[in-house]
Amino acid sequence: MVDPLEQQAVEDEAPRQRFLLEDTGFDEVPVRYRRFYRKWRGPGDSLGPNEAICPVCKVVIRSTRELRAGDRVYCMPCMSRLVIVRGEDGGLEARVAY
Amino acid sequence: MSEALPLPEVHGLAHEAFLEEVHSFEFWFQSVSGYLAGRPYGQRPDLVDEPLAPDRRERLVTVLCNYCVGETAALEGASGLVAIAPDRLIQVFLSTQVVDEGRHLEVLLHRLRQLGVTDMEAEIAKRASPALVHFKRRLLELVASRDWEAAIFSQNVILEAMEFTVFQSHARTADPVTRELLQGIIKDERRHIGFGENELGRRLRVSPHIRARIGEVKRELDHFVLDSFEETLRELGVPASERPELGRSYLDAVARLGFA
Repeated sequence: MVDPLEQQAVEDEAPRQRFLLEDTGFDEVPVRYRRFYRKWRGPGDSLGPNEAICPVCKVVIRSTRELRAGDRVYCMPCMSRLVIVRGEDGGLEARVAY
Repeated sequence: MSEALPLPEVHGLAHEAFLEEVHSFEFWFQSVSGYLAGRPYGQRPDLVDEPLAPDRRERLVTVLCNYCVGETAALEGASGLVAIAPDRLIQVFLSTQVVDEGRHLEVLLHRLRQLGVTDMEAEIAKRASPALVHFKRRLLELVASRDWEAAIFSQNVILEAMEFTVFQSHARTADPVTRELLQGIIKDERRHIGFGENELGRRLRVSPHIRARIGEVKRELDHFVLDSFEETLRELGVPASERPELGRSYLDAVARLGFA
């Protein structure tokens, strides 16, 4: 049996997936930043490994690389600094870092 | 034509550089240009207004009159906050909020005019929720007394968070014209709620002694806005089972700030 902590350490050391971001039509930030954000499309939507939901304004934040616990991301639409953490359900989530 | 500028990985910015960017007038201007250009009074010119039944129109006028009270409170509050802001970066950001709030008031008044209201001032005075009018008076007193943290909490956390939720809820069932102008306002509100929570969060982190004062303001004022917007949702016919959602955005924000 694999120790979950060891498994996590292995995952953390693995190279991160890279993502090519495209503009999805999110129009609330200047054009050059648009590809880093998208709208949450509701119950049928899901997050990619490079995405997190802003807890303040509910916009989806996107990165060109896979997100991991400890990463810092910014939500430009609501001007929040966020840190990615592992939630109680084991998934990644963003928390505000004032 | 595709974007010619190199696309920066925004998440790699230093925090100070990020704040300088998002608080700037330039950032605001380029942001609002994306969703307001070509939409006079927040509406696409080719959008067709649908006729409303008399009782639905009547309820909508009451709701819009109360939105005008809230937006006037935010306009006057933000204007006063410019003078007491702790630094120039925040002054510049608040100047953009003043413009946003002025625009909100203008598009709401324009919508009332489209609905046949001729004497705006009389109509607003007649239909305004006393709780919201009281909140507005207290907010402006806090601004006048130069109580920065209490005023930011009242305006950008209590008022803006509840407006954000109510406008989203209303937009889901509104007629097409009202929906479109509300959607434009919601995009502005994202900046305002984020600014309020983050500014206050930073202040609480370095000056924990202000927590007691903010707690007092919360206990005194938040129910006025909550009550008046619950009234609004009743007017809009939102079922009682969905109304607890109204406070969620606000309650989540105060919980993150440590006021659960």
